[in-house]
Amino acid sequence: MIEQFCDWLSRTGISVAFQSANWFVPLVQTVHIIAIAILLTSVYVVSFRLIGITRTGRPLAVLAAKSTPWVWTTLCVLLGTGILLTITEPARELLNWAFRVKMLMVMALAGILLVVQIRLRRSPEYWTESPSRRRAARAIGIAAVIIGAGIVTAGRWIAYV
Amino acid sequence: MALEQALARLQDFSLPTQIRESDWLFPTIETVHVFALVLVVGTIMTVDLRLLGVANKERPFSEVASEMLPWTWVAFGIAALAGMLMFSSKALTYYGNIPFRLKMICLLLAGINMVMFHWLGTRHLEAWDRGRPPLAAKFAGGASLLLWACIVAAGRWIGFTT
Repeated sequence: MIEQFCDWLSRTGISVAFQSANWFVPLVQTVHIIAIAILLTSVYVVSFRLIGITRTGRPLAVLAAKSTPWVWTTLCVLLGTGILLTITEPARELLNWAFRVKMLMVMALAGILLVVQIRLRRSPEYWTESPSRRRAARAIGIAAVIIGAGIVTAGRWIAYV
Repeated sequence: MALEQALARLQDFSLPTQIRESDWLFPTIETVHVFALVLVVGTIMTVDLRLLGVANKERPFSEVASEMLPWTWVAFGIAALAGMLMFSSKALTYYGNIPFRLKMICLLLAGINMVMFHWLGTRHLEAWDRGRPPLAAKFAGGASLLLWACIVAAGRWIGFTT
């Protein structure tokens, strides 16, 4: 089923056009990587504060609010460039287990970020109110750091598995 | 040529040979390289975008820079080490590769840009730390942004030409 879809997609005019321009994939990947750079830095700034690695500077709620537009804008750029890469080489992505693991991790990270942001919007002190909340914040921050690294790792391994 | 002989000898050492012949060593080192590079680029761009007045406008430049740049250096050290390991595995191939040379030139230019900015661009920092940077500092930020985009592009291009 997915094989047939990949086969069909790779023969569409748009896919053939992308495939025939040999600069297309490296260029789109470059934009993809720069967007990951901005996303991961934004995520790590908030995560490091949740974990307690960084303690000074602006309050967590301000930090998270400032990073929110960057996070979702770069996620949209990543989705767009990712779709372009998938159209160009459908089988390379859709039939690849590293790609599937990567997509699951992207969804997990997006979910985590959404929860962190929504809680902070309701109450700026949410993640620091009590020892149990601080522990939860720490766990969530560590999860976000690991998943972020996992996304980069799985992304690179798409080329090798 | 002496340099080519030295590079040939380098890639014949035990570790470079292992990296070249193993199925998983090169991709693993490359993953570390990409992960570290992504953080180098993200943290540097945060500082560049402050200089250009795009992000963190309400915060002093010195605060943004001192928050980001220590992480930049740690990540850069890791990326450089992983990069050297990858280079050593196919030193002669990379040496002759045009995108690789372009990447090294861009890295050098980014380094020169950074040193120039530190010497000249921050001389009257107190005057603009909380506000809009002077044109020279904005130029340094723009140049850095462009050079790091080129470094990523050239780096990705290496993978399609070796």
